[in-house]
Amino acid sequence: MIRLAWRNLQRNKARTWLTACGIGFAVLLVSFAMSLQSGSYEIMIDSATRYFTGHGQISTDDYIEQPRFARTIANAESLQATLEAIDGLTVFPRVQAFGVVSKDEKSLGGMILGVDFAAEREQLDVYNNVIAGQVPDASDQALIGAAMARNIGANLGDEIVVLGSGKQGSVAAAVFIVAGIVETGQVELDRSLIFAPFASVADAFYLADEAHMLVLMLNDLSRLNDIAAEVEAQLPESLGLQTWQQLMPLIEQSIELDKAGGYLFFSLLLILVTFAVVNTFVMGLFERTREFGLFMALGMRPWQVIGQVQFEALLLSLLGVLLGLALAYPLLVYLTSVGIALDQVGGEEVSRQMQMGSMSRIYPRATWPSMTTAPLVLIIGTQLAALVSTLRVQGIRPVTALRAE
Amino acid sequence: MTEFAETSKATSPVVECRGVQRIYQQDSVPVYALRGADLTIHAGEFVSLAGPSGSGKSTLLNVIGGLDGFDAGSVTVGGVDLAALTPAQLAQTRLHNVGFVFQAYNLIPVLSARENVEFILQLQGVASQQRRSRADRALRSMGLAELGDRRPGELSGGQQQRVAIARAIVTEPVLLLADEPTANLDSKTTSELLAVLRDLNQQQGMTIVTATHDPIVMEYTSRQVTMLDGEIRQDDGVTA
Repeated sequence: MIRLAWRNLQRNKARTWLTACGIGFAVLLVSFAMSLQSGSYEIMIDSATRYFTGHGQISTDDYIEQPRFARTIANAESLQATLEAIDGLTVFPRVQAFGVVSKDEKSLGGMILGVDFAAEREQLDVYNNVIAGQVPDASDQALIGAAMARNIGANLGDEIVVLGSGKQGSVAAAVFIVAGIVETGQVELDRSLIFAPFASVADAFYLADEAHMLVLMLNDLSRLNDIAAEVEAQLPESLGLQTWQQLMPLIEQSIELDKAGGYLFFSLLLILVTFAVVNTFVMGLFERTREFGLFMALGMRPWQVIGQVQFEALLLSLLGVLLGLALAYPLLVYLTSVGIALDQVGGEEVSRQMQMGSMSRIYPRATWPSMTTAPLVLIIGTQLAALVSTLRVQGIRPVTALRAE
Repeated sequence: MTEFAETSKATSPVVECRGVQRIYQQDSVPVYALRGADLTIHAGEFVSLAGPSGSGKSTLLNVIGGLDGFDAGSVTVGGVDLAALTPAQLAQTRLHNVGFVFQAYNLIPVLSARENVEFILQLQGVASQQRRSRADRALRSMGLAELGDRRPGELSGGQQQRVAIARAIVTEPVLLLADEPTANLDSKTTSELLAVLRDLNQQQGMTIVTATHDPIVMEYTSRQVTMLDGEIRQDDGVTA
């Protein structure tokens, strides 16, 4: 039967190869597009999380619900140490306070973020956007947003005064020297943000071994779920973990939207190819009516004839799928290693936006779904297409079919 | 099916048709292809169904072989009433007990001569090695031992028809039905092929029924039945 099926496919080689090439092209296109899509999501997520937010954040449950200065994580340093024992995880603390930022006679309201500069600049891309000066390396230095610097007239080396309210309601005050000016690309942040050393801000605002959040960065984002589970197991009841999906829901929503659009396009493509296969089979079956009549005259049952044609359809689709994968796989292996320049796939605007982070190339990511969806759909589609065409075999009368031209 | 074969080989007649009618509808007008045909064929006979085109000989052959149904009367083959069989049982009967030889050879073009012969054995579920040896034996008996690897397109008409006969007899059927088997052959090849059929009948005792309008064919058969307008007009009767 295998031999008969294979030779029947060779009966009209041009048609068989054209159909197989159609299937192969669809497999190539869909597998490549899905891998590219998958790679672009990875880059989008990585770029967004690596910029400032991190892959996850730990805060107290009530801080997550409504951020208030007093809602801090106690014993932050020991918790940080505990979590950093988890393989592939880096943790750094932040405090977030609000106050008045003054330079000479000019004052503005601002958000003072106490960060571990040494740890964060290794992990986050926001520090790559320092447009003047440098990332602070002393306890009395600060990095301020470009718009704030402009608005209060602060330049590199100038002193700025921060006045706010400490944890117990006492006045918090600190003086910092502007070591650098940063342009984050987000106007709101550039107008209000001051980065200062964690310990200095915590001292000024009367926090003792406390933080508002612990930012988590993973070496491998694909391990997020596993690591999140490990982290949650270590957390006291009053603390909660938010992953990037909760911190940046818009990113996930836009990915889901893009995926839906992609699936629609892929579905249309696969349906078109399936119709082409139906056409091939219908043509082939009309030409072979006499042969089917012979099969049945010799004693073959209609379901056996249908099975024979289904097997031919399977061989044809496998041929096309293998052809497509044989082209897609080396192409993806190559592009996975060298990447595709962003300005080649999304124009200069995309490139500019992505390069606010550190990414300049997309690396397609071949996943099981991206490499198996099109083959499976096409194999099943071809089987259904063949079945629709071959069901008419049941109505064939051998004596009539044998007279067919 | 085994029961069928044993019964039919042990007893006669092999075929018994009584008052068989076959009516086709052509543009809602009934066309009588068979009008109450009566025919009894005993084991070991070599019968020719002769008559002009449209006389009903091919229809009767198809009815006997279970390829076509009938509207009235009864047909028993090997003691089995064909009217009582389901389509699946009819298919099994054709597969195991009836061999067909068609005018247009009807070989599977993508298979070699040997594979064509093996094909029907495969349908019967015969094991691979046995298939091969039986197919070779059948081809050898048709004088085609050297041509087993050739495809139908590489064989002459006479050779293709011999392959078709090899395919028909490889299952050792109770009954061999041949519908105008020589119609596409020249006279020399026709004579050779008829000699082959006669040998099968005389040496192996195979019961053969052939539809023909060729007088040469009738010279080789042991009994001639003449049909006209769907009726049997003349029958030589059973030969000894």
